[in-house]
Amino acid sequence: MIANQLALVRRELWEHRSLYVTPAVVALVMILAILTAFVFASGYQEIVDIGIVGAQNLAGDAERRAALMALLIGNTMPFLFAGAILTTFYCLDSLYAERKSKSILFWRSLPITDAETVVSKFLTAAIAIPLIAFAVIVIAHLVILLITSIFVGIEGGSSMFLVWKSAPIFDVWAAILIITLLLPVWFSPFIGWFLFVSAWTKRSPLLMAFLPLVLLPTLEYWVLRTHLIFDAIKTRFDHLPIFKGIDPELFFNEERFIAEADAVSLLGFIDIGKFLTSPQMWAGVIVAGLFITAAIYVRRYRDDT
Amino acid sequence: MTSLVTATNVSKRYGDVRAVDNVSFEIEKGKIMGLFGPNGAGKTTLLKAVLGLTDCEGQLSVLGLDPFKQRKELMQNICFIADVAVLPRWIKVSQLLDFMEATHPNFTRSRSEELLSRTKVRKNAKVRELSKGMVTQLHLSIIAAIDAKLLVLDEPTLGLDIIFRKEFYSNLLSDYFDGERTILITTHQVEEIEHLMTDIMFIHDGRILLDSSMDTLPDTYTELMTSGENADKARQLGPIYERDVFGKKAMTFEGVSKKQLEGLGESHTPSVADLFVAKVKGAAA
Repeated sequence: MIANQLALVRRELWEHRSLYVTPAVVALVMILAILTAFVFASGYQEIVDIGIVGAQNLAGDAERRAALMALLIGNTMPFLFAGAILTTFYCLDSLYAERKSKSILFWRSLPITDAETVVSKFLTAAIAIPLIAFAVIVIAHLVILLITSIFVGIEGGSSMFLVWKSAPIFDVWAAILIITLLLPVWFSPFIGWFLFVSAWTKRSPLLMAFLPLVLLPTLEYWVLRTHLIFDAIKTRFDHLPIFKGIDPELFFNEERFIAEADAVSLLGFIDIGKFLTSPQMWAGVIVAGLFITAAIYVRRYRDDT
Repeated sequence: MTSLVTATNVSKRYGDVRAVDNVSFEIEKGKIMGLFGPNGAGKTTLLKAVLGLTDCEGQLSVLGLDPFKQRKELMQNICFIADVAVLPRWIKVSQLLDFMEATHPNFTRSRSEELLSRTKVRKNAKVRELSKGMVTQLHLSIIAAIDAKLLVLDEPTLGLDIIFRKEFYSNLLSDYFDGERTILITTHQVEEIEHLMTDIMFIHDGRILLDSSMDTLPDTYTELMTSGENADKARQLGPIYERDVFGKKAMTFEGVSKKQLEGLGESHTPSVADLFVAKVKGAAA
């Protein structure tokens, strides 16, 4: 069972090279952007010098830590957006392409159930894509910090002190790993829906996936004057139950940050308990399960070859 | 003899159309069964039911299993080639072997590699880079490396040139068939497999027109070439089908002994292709 899943997920990575090429391209673009920024910054020698002197002498540990954390988080966001788009396209293609090319007949001639196949596509979307993205993010961060430290070194700063000792890399990485693994769970209704559309539609999966997301809420509003579907979709995007609520008193308490630089932590901002006890998260998982079951059913009973 | 496939009153409907209509048959171990029928006769539907790719009415047992409900177990002991195009085009030959090795308990990689080494198929080539003939060689090398009890071939040589077709069947016999295994095959090129089949089945409009062993075919069916008065006499014996050949009449008889036809003309056992036409046209008349 597990051996089969590993073989099936590996199969997905062979077929969809975009799953690792896309994050690699995003990383490359970002590294190039950072390089360009530094080359551009070199033209403003005085400002750079003042900046480095200030960072070295005036700023506290917490400020240095916060600045580098912002740099790392900023360089993580493009991966998450690219990952979302990649997952969407992957899911929509995963059960559609094999029918279109008729290779489904070959896959079904092997001793693998339809359930195993569909589950392997879900696991690829929910676990393999995030893990690949995470690995590329870590590499990109290291390269970006390396470039930054070289730049700081050239400009006469202590890169050991300013970059490597100040950057909360393990804190940020641990947090990003958790976030990249929880995001697909939170958005699993979409993954399930896309897999179902991919298994079911006869043509243009992209259109068939997004048209109902627009039409159904519109129809509901026209007919019933309610917006339940719209709210359900909107909640997925603005009520992510992964982060702790911000306590303004603590957050703007400068003395606390100065006293304990470790308080500048992305990991400390994550609340897994809140995620696991979120009714909306579990409702989403159930919806995803229903769509995945439907996708298995369609792959098993559909006979259009 | 044990039967590998037992079908009793099997039907499959698509809406109002009965693609397979109340069909019963058996396939015994060690046989090579040829299944023939015109386009749309229900061949592919029947094969799909046997392979568990579609559900059906009636009782169908393959290797003692319910094919639709127990497809995974079934596929450990069955292989099939539906059409050469079904191998995924993006996969590399080596990846395909890796995948088979990881997921198929009865697959022997070294066997497959040995068979491939006799061909021009390179291990690092992708399927899309191979010619149609090479894809078939690849598929057969995989199938032959599976220790399966039943092999199902649906138009395996469609679109191949004559050399690859001949080679396919000779490889099939030498590499795969050992008298222990069983083959169920459909093709339009009847004459190419006429000499390797042990059993034969005709299907038309979802029904079975003929289900016979090749050995008993000459006892049951005779084709008579005749003309003039003899033709009228022969006609009274009730041929199932009659056609004109170069001014003569060719009549196909079922269950009429060659002795009875003696003196009425030249008699011989019809070829499978001629018998097929006689049965289908005779059934339509």
